[in-house]
Amino acid sequence: MVMGKRNTVVVLSSSDDEDYVPLLSSKRSYSKPNSRSLVTRTEPRAGKKKRRISDSSSRLCVESSYVDEIRSSFQDFDEVISGSKVSTGFGRNNKKELWIDKYQPRSLEELAVHKKKIEEVKVWFEGRLTPSKDELSNHVLLISGQAGVGKSATIHVIASHLGARVCEWNTPTPTAWQEHVHNFNSGIQYRSKLDEFETFVEKVRKYGLLPSSFPVESKSSIILLIDDLPMTNGRAAFEKLQNCLFLLVTSVQTPTAILVTANGHADPADQTTRLLEELQSSLETAGACKVAFNPITYNSIKKTLTRICREEHCNLSDEQIGIIAKSSGGDIRHAITSLQLFVLKPDLMHRLSPSDLPSGYSKERTHDLNALDGGFSLHFGRDETLSLFHALGKFLHNKRETENTMALDGNAFDISEKFSRLPLKMDAPEKILCQAHGQSRPITDFLHENALDFLSEEAMDDAWGMASYLSDADLLLASFRGMLARYNEAEGVLQSASASVSVRGVLFGNSHPLRSRWHAIRRPKLWQVEQSTLQNKKEIVRQRFTTPSFCDLSVIATEYTPVSNWLGLRTSGALEDHQMLIQSSGMVHGDIEKLSLDDHESEISGDEIEDWD
Amino acid sequence: MLWVDKYRPKTLDQIIVHEDIASNLKKLVTEQDCPHLLFYGPSGSGKKTLIMALLRQLFGASAEKVKVENRTWKVDAGSRTIELELTTLSSNNHVELSPSDAGFQDRYIVQEIIKEMAKNRPIDTKGKRGFKVLVLNEVDKLSREAQHSLRRTMEKYSAYCRLILCCNSSSKVTEAIRSRCLNVRINAPTEDQIVKVLDFIGKKEGLQLPPGFAARIAEKSNRNLRRAILSFETCRVQQYPFTTNQAIPPMDWEEYVSEIANDIMKEQSPKRLFEVRGKVYELLINCIPPEIILKRLVYELLRKLDEDLKHVICHWAAYYEHRMRLGQKAIFHIEAFVAKFMSIYKAFLIETFG
Repeated sequence: MVMGKRNTVVVLSSSDDEDYVPLLSSKRSYSKPNSRSLVTRTEPRAGKKKRRISDSSSRLCVESSYVDEIRSSFQDFDEVISGSKVSTGFGRNNKKELWIDKYQPRSLEELAVHKKKIEEVKVWFEGRLTPSKDELSNHVLLISGQAGVGKSATIHVIASHLGARVCEWNTPTPTAWQEHVHNFNSGIQYRSKLDEFETFVEKVRKYGLLPSSFPVESKSSIILLIDDLPMTNGRAAFEKLQNCLFLLVTSVQTPTAILVTANGHADPADQTTRLLEELQSSLETAGACKVAFNPITYNSIKKTLTRICREEHCNLSDEQIGIIAKSSGGDIRHAITSLQLFVLKPDLMHRLSPSDLPSGYSKERTHDLNALDGGFSLHFGRDETLSLFHALGKFLHNKRETENTMALDGNAFDISEKFSRLPLKMDAPEKILCQAHGQSRPITDFLHENALDFLSEEAMDDAWGMASYLSDADLLLASFRGMLARYNEAEGVLQSASASVSVRGVLFGNSHPLRSRWHAIRRPKLWQVEQSTLQNKKEIVRQRFTTPSFCDLSVIATEYTPVSNWLGLRTSGALEDHQMLIQSSGMVHGDIEKLSLDDHESEISGDEIEDWD
Repeated sequence: MLWVDKYRPKTLDQIIVHEDIASNLKKLVTEQDCPHLLFYGPSGSGKKTLIMALLRQLFGASAEKVKVENRTWKVDAGSRTIELELTTLSSNNHVELSPSDAGFQDRYIVQEIIKEMAKNRPIDTKGKRGFKVLVLNEVDKLSREAQHSLRRTMEKYSAYCRLILCCNSSSKVTEAIRSRCLNVRINAPTEDQIVKVLDFIGKKEGLQLPPGFAARIAEKSNRNLRRAILSFETCRVQQYPFTTNQAIPPMDWEEYVSEIANDIMKEQSPKRLFEVRGKVYELLINCIPPEIILKRLVYELLRKLDEDLKHVICHWAAYYEHRMRLGQKAIFHIEAFVAKFMSIYKAFLIETFG
C-alpha cells in the first residue's frame, strides 16, 4: 500500500516537470522532444536544473509528513538521472575539479591521439565543411575504438579548430518500468529510445538540422555527432537500428560523425560485439568513411600525464607515471583519473615508491605484486579481460621461460628432476581464469578435448599425467553434487579448485611443450556425445516395452539391442555386424565446427557460446 | 518374439533353474501375504522371472494383464514445481517402475509418486482389504536420499502396500532397507543349469543339438542365462543344422571393445589415445554403460598381456573404476586408464626389447 503511494507521488511530480521527462510531454507537442534532444554544448543546463530541483521539492513539501523522506530520495534520483555534474557529496568537500574535465584537450596539440589519425579526421571534416564545387558523396564519418581513446575529444577539438559547432544527439532519459506502468493507465504511449532515435534521424534526413534550435546569429557550420547509439536488444531491434543508420548514411547532408565504442578485449563470441561489427561493415558499404582509433600508446599517455603533473605541481617520478600509464591499458581517461586518485592518496605513493627496493628488482617486484594479490589493480589499473579462447590458448601452448631463473634462489625447495618445470611465461593460471570468467566445467571439457594435440608423439607419460589430473578435476566437480545447494559457498570453492587442478594439471603434465605452432581449438565433442547418448537413452526407454518385461537399460543396450539388430540384419541378409554401430554414431563426425585460434588473435565464427551452461 | 521372452516360465511351478527358491516363495505367499522382498543377484540370473511368477501366484492370471502408462507427474518441491515423466507398467494389483530413470531427481519419485501409489488401497472382490505390490527396479542405482525416503515409505504404508525391490548388488542398498526386507539372493545359474534350459528350449523348438554345443554356449555366456538364450537364438538364425564347432557370434559392442584393445596394444601415443577416445565415445553414444566398457576393455587387454604386468593393470583399472563411479563424466576416467596403460606398456616394451 505504502509502496504504491510512493510511486504515485514520485511520478506525479516528475510528470509536472516538462523538461525532465520529455516522453510525457509528447502528447502535447510533437516537435518539442526532438528539438530538445538536440542539445548544443553551450546551452546552460545546470542553472535550469537547480531551479527544477528546488521547485519540485518545495512542491512536495506541502504533501504529508512522510513525503519528506521521499523528497530526499527523489533528489538523489533526480541527480542520478539528469547526470548533473554538480554532485553534492563530493563537490562540496572537495574544491578540486575532476582532472578529466579540467585537462580536457583544447587544442590539436594536446590530444593524445596519434597525429596521423587526427590529421585524417581533420582533413575529412575540412573537405565537408568548406564549400566546394565537386559534390562529395558521403557525409558520414565512422570512428571506432575502445573506451577512452579520445574519440569524442577529437571531434570536439577539431570542431573548435575549424570553427564549427557540434550538435549532439543526446539520448533521452530512459523510461523506468514503474513509470511506464503509470503512464500506461493515463494512455500515454511508451516510446523506446530506439524509436526516439529513429524519429530524430528521420527529421535530420528530411529537413537537415533545424535552425530554430540555435541562436540566430550563429552562421557557423555544423557538425552532427552521434555518440552513444541506442541500446538494441534482440535481432529485430538491431535491424531497425541498422536500417535507420543506413538511411542516415546515404542521405544526410550535414557532416556527421558516428562514434562506436568497441571493446578491444571483448569475447569475440559475444553477441553485442558481433552485432557492432556487423553494423560497422554495413555502414561502410553504405559509404561511410571509417577511421579506427587504436588504444593510446604508452608514450603519449605518459606525456599527457607528465604535463598534468607539471601543471598541478605534484612531483611524481618518471617511473611512477610510467606504471600508471602502463596499467591504464591505453585508456587515457582512466589514466588521468588514476593519476588524480594517486596524488590524493599519499599512502599509495609510498607503496609505489621504488626507492625502498633495490634498483633493477623494483620492476619485477611490482609486477609480482600485481600478479599475486592484485592489490595494485585494486587502486588503479584496469582489470583486463580475456576471451575464453585466448585463455585456453595460453594454457594449451604452455609457454615457458627457456631457463630456470628460480633455481638460482637458494631458498627454493629441492625438487627432483621429474617434477621440476621451467617457470611459466604468463600470469598465475588462476588469474587468467578469473580474467576469462571461465567456469570450471567448460574449461575442463575444452582442455580435455584439445590437450592431446599439444603433446609430442613420444610423450605418453605426459598424456597420462594430464589425463589423470583431468580425472581429478572431474572428481572435484562431481563431489557433493546434489548434497549442497547450488550457489553454495562450498560449491564455489570446489569449482575454483577443480578449475585450478585441471589447468595446472595440463600445464604441469605437458613437461616438454611443443614449439608453438598453429592449432585449431575444437569444441568439446563430449557435449555432442552426451546429447546423442541422452537421445538414444530416451529411445531405449521408449522401446523397453516391446519386451514383455521391464529390463534394465544396460541390459537392453548390451544384450537385447545388439541381438535384435543382428537378427534383423541377418534376415534381411546383408551388412556386417558392427557397421550398425558406426552408422548410428555417424552423426558425431558431422558438424563439429572448428574454431581457429592463433596465439594472440582469435577469430571465432561459431555460435557455440549459447549452449554453454 | 525372442526366445528369451517366449520361454520365460510363467508360474513358480514351471521354473527349472532356481527350483528351491521358487518353492520357498510359493510357501511364503500361500497365505496371501508376504513381507517386503529384496531380490538381488547378477544380471541374467532370473530375478525378474521369479518376481513375475510370484505376482502371478499372488494375484492369479490378472497379474499378466498389464498396461504401459506414461504419465507426467507434477511434484511440489518447496518453492517450485517439478515435472517428472515416468513410465510404469501396471495391472490391477501391482505397479512396476524404475525410479532411477529420473536420475538425480529420483528422490521426488520415491517421496511423492510412490507415496501416492501406496496410499491407494485396492479392495478385492470378496470385500477383503487387499494390498498392492510395488515393484521397483534398479534400486541399487537410487541415490542415497532416495533410499532414505524409500525407507520411510516402507514403514508408513506397510499396512496396504508391499514392495518388491530388484537390484544387482545389495551392497549399494542401504542397511536400513535391507533389514526391512526379506532378502532373496538369486545366484547366477551354473553352466549345467544353463545347458538344461537350452536343451529344454531346443526340444520345444524341435532342434537337433550336437553334443557339447549347448555347453559351449553356456560357457561363453558367462553364466548369464538371458545371454545364453539370446546367443542360442542367433546361432539358430546363423546356421541350422548346428555343427559342433560353430562360431558363436559375439555382441557387436564386444567386438568393438576388442578392436579398441588391439589399437591400444599396437601403438602407444597421444595420437592413438585420441583415436581411442573417439571409439569410446561411439560406445557411449550407444548407451553401453561405461563400467561395462571399462570392464570389458580390461578383460580384453589382460588376455593379451604379459603376466608381469597384469596385477599393475588391474590395480589401475580398479583405481579408475572407483573414480568413475564417484565422478561425473566417465570418459575422463576411462581415458586416464587407457593413458596409464599405454604409459606402463610402453615402458615395458622399451625395457624388454630396447
